[in-house]
Amino acid sequence: MTRGTIRTSAAGIAALALLVLAAQSGWAQEAAAAGPREYGSFPWIGSRTAIWIAAEVHLMFAAFVLGVPMFAVVAEAIGIFGGDERYDRLSKEFTRLLLIAYSATAMWGAVLVFLLTTLYPRFWAHMTEIFEVSMWIYVGLFFVESFTLYLYYYGWERWKQGRAKLGHWTLGILLNVWGTAVLFIADSWLTYMMSPPADVTPDTSPAMVQAWSAFANATWMPINIHRLIANVVFGGSIVAAYAGYRFLSAKTDDERAHYDWMGYVGNFIAIGALIVLPFAGYYLGREIYEYNQQMGITMMGGFMSWLWIIQAFLIGVLFLAGNYYLWVGMGRIPGAERFLPYTKWMLFVLIIGVIVWSTPHTMIADRAELEAMGGSHHPFLGVLGVMSAKNTAVNLMILTTFLSFLMYRRANRRPVVGWARTGTILQAGLFVIAAAVVLFYGVYGYFVSAIVRIGFSVYQVLAVLATIIGVMALDVAMLRGSESRGEIRWGQMPPRSQYALFVLVVTFTWLMGLMGFARSGIRQHWHVWEVMRDTSQWAATPALGFAAQIISVCVIIFLGMISFIFWLGGLVEKPQLVPKGR
Amino acid sequence: MWGTNLKILGVVLGTIAVYTLLANAIPQIESEVPEELSFTGEVSAEELIDAGEQLYAGAGGCTACHGLGTRAPNLLTAQGSEGPIGARCGNRVPGEDCKTYLHRSMVEPNAHVVDGFQPIMPDMSRTLSDAQIWSMIAYLQSQGGEVTVTSSDLAAAAPDAASAAGGAAAGPSATTDPEALLRELQCVACHKLGAEGQEVGPPFDGIGARLSPDEIRGAILDPAATVSPGYEQFAGVMPPNFGSRLTAAQLEALVGYLAERR
Repeated sequence: MTRGTIRTSAAGIAALALLVLAAQSGWAQEAAAAGPREYGSFPWIGSRTAIWIAAEVHLMFAAFVLGVPMFAVVAEAIGIFGGDERYDRLSKEFTRLLLIAYSATAMWGAVLVFLLTTLYPRFWAHMTEIFEVSMWIYVGLFFVESFTLYLYYYGWERWKQGRAKLGHWTLGILLNVWGTAVLFIADSWLTYMMSPPADVTPDTSPAMVQAWSAFANATWMPINIHRLIANVVFGGSIVAAYAGYRFLSAKTDDERAHYDWMGYVGNFIAIGALIVLPFAGYYLGREIYEYNQQMGITMMGGFMSWLWIIQAFLIGVLFLAGNYYLWVGMGRIPGAERFLPYTKWMLFVLIIGVIVWSTPHTMIADRAELEAMGGSHHPFLGVLGVMSAKNTAVNLMILTTFLSFLMYRRANRRPVVGWARTGTILQAGLFVIAAAVVLFYGVYGYFVSAIVRIGFSVYQVLAVLATIIGVMALDVAMLRGSESRGEIRWGQMPPRSQYALFVLVVTFTWLMGLMGFARSGIRQHWHVWEVMRDTSQWAATPALGFAAQIISVCVIIFLGMISFIFWLGGLVEKPQLVPKGR
Repeated sequence: MWGTNLKILGVVLGTIAVYTLLANAIPQIESEVPEELSFTGEVSAEELIDAGEQLYAGAGGCTACHGLGTRAPNLLTAQGSEGPIGARCGNRVPGEDCKTYLHRSMVEPNAHVVDGFQPIMPDMSRTLSDAQIWSMIAYLQSQGGEVTVTSSDLAAAAPDAASAAGGAAAGPSATTDPEALLRELQCVACHKLGAEGQEVGPPFDGIGARLSPDEIRGAILDPAATVSPGYEQFAGVMPPNFGSRLTAAQLEALVGYLAERR
């Protein structure tokens, strides 16, 4: 099936390319008569919406096919070096999903390029003149990446033992190297649009722009890091939802157990990476401010200020659904009952955190609104809307989620090391210290100037990160050789828990669309910030309501397509279930 | 199985619907494109004020900072006993009338940073045309003061209009006198020289003892490459385009002058 899919997709791309080229040649004849065209037009929905949908859906597929290899190769390594064959099977199943999604990524990439060349020819000419070399390298890497993927998947059974297996694993690592290089190149193009080098002006000829300074621009590396982590989150959530679907439709206990476990692993990857994602977000935000204060202010306090309230709500849903899945999952772990009384308090902290994080503050307002509010902030809630309160809330939510994971991990284990009690007290101490540091700087932030307050977020983040690392290190050492309180009853998970996985995947996908709008929208009416104006009829950046409708359309297209291709994959090849313990 | 599929579909579509409705329930603000102004002949103050008000409240993006009074002074409300910006602009800098002060604030925003605020204001000539800037000034003057912007201001700016909107910053005059250059380029607005200027960046006094000539040259040409300790929060404020604005002789004159300030 997978070979057939590739052939079908390749034929589809070729047909699409011919169609677009044929259409292009007709348009080109018209353009030759009227002079160089700056913009094309797309029927019904307009050029901007057409590009938006093509770019967003391509990006969603790309995030999936770049994220999954990262944890597929880690799962294979656990299988090789840990001797647990389940992980090897899991890795292969991840890769099978990847293979099918790969052709869809390429198709949407082709659609995007053809739309750019036909709808935005002036802009595209500017970009190709600066980035032509990197575009050729990109295409070359794409070929190499594709064939590495084919070797990796189709060689799985052939190179299964001994040194051949290590060679196979190396292919997986190479797949990640090529994928990361492809990501970094594509990121350079879009970040150049946001943050071109300061010496590039509207009068600068693209031929005179130094390729490397355009490539390694101010926001390139922050976006690279942010996307690498976000791809893992996204890939994990898709895999978890896939497993959730297969769990709900499973016919046998073995199948149910396998997909329960797969859903847990996918969710663990997604939530684990999500915990560090805000730190990458801080880094990106800081670099945007450093590059251009106006852009930063537009993003956080200008016309986009309400966007962050929606983002806070979505991330709140992610934290709540992720924790809910873990808490429900503890019902199938012997010994977890001792932790259940704490969950209500953790839920309380999470809900308060979401409320604080979602509190509006410094929203763009006209004079009448300011007068109605009695000032620039709400008289009571304004105090909760400042960054001190929000940073405190999000850091406490991260700590709470980490505690949920730790309880899940410890649920059926009984440490046997002599220092187990001391270790547990130390872990608790680290949690208390981190929470105290977060709260202290949260409160102290109200009494200092804004510029000092911004620096406090670094201390809060460091305290939380240090606690996560320290507690995990203690936990790993403490549970070495630990006794089991009973085997996890994989498959005995209430169906409602699986619906949490669907909420998670929809929320992650929607959030990705929202953040894409934020990143692209802060350029406002510039194709390339302060270098090339958008002079088309679609130059204005739409309000959030319209953006939400387009994002929802993209999410439905993506989830619809990926469900269809996963279903196709399932028709031909059934995963080989490996009972635990082999 | 169909029941399960329908439930999943319901959860997926329901979640998407909630997010879409939520995003549509909040205030809808579109980022407009600044409308190009093409005044011809005599322009009335009312026309300028109307155009300026639209820009100020909309596409100019001013209210993101000035409307709320936290990141930047609120221009539409009284500040202490001084009244709104139109009333207080003439008293801000000795020797500068209201119109000159407001114009400099927009095209050389670091020249006079109001006490208690950070130098975050962008150079508006990179995004707005001269006509747009003058109409904005007229609107600000109308807030408690007298509008003195006239057609002649627009006419004087007209020859530069093509390069002003989105254009590169202009170079200084041909002088190679370093002290004149430091003032002309507004360096002393951020780097203290004797009793002159503010300390947004490291002071010029003693700079020759702290940095070698090569380091000074590097700091002028690529200010973001190395940020002096203690001034990290102002990283990125210094314009990075002096390399294209100065001639080689001007640059070397500045480097030589600063290197001798030990």
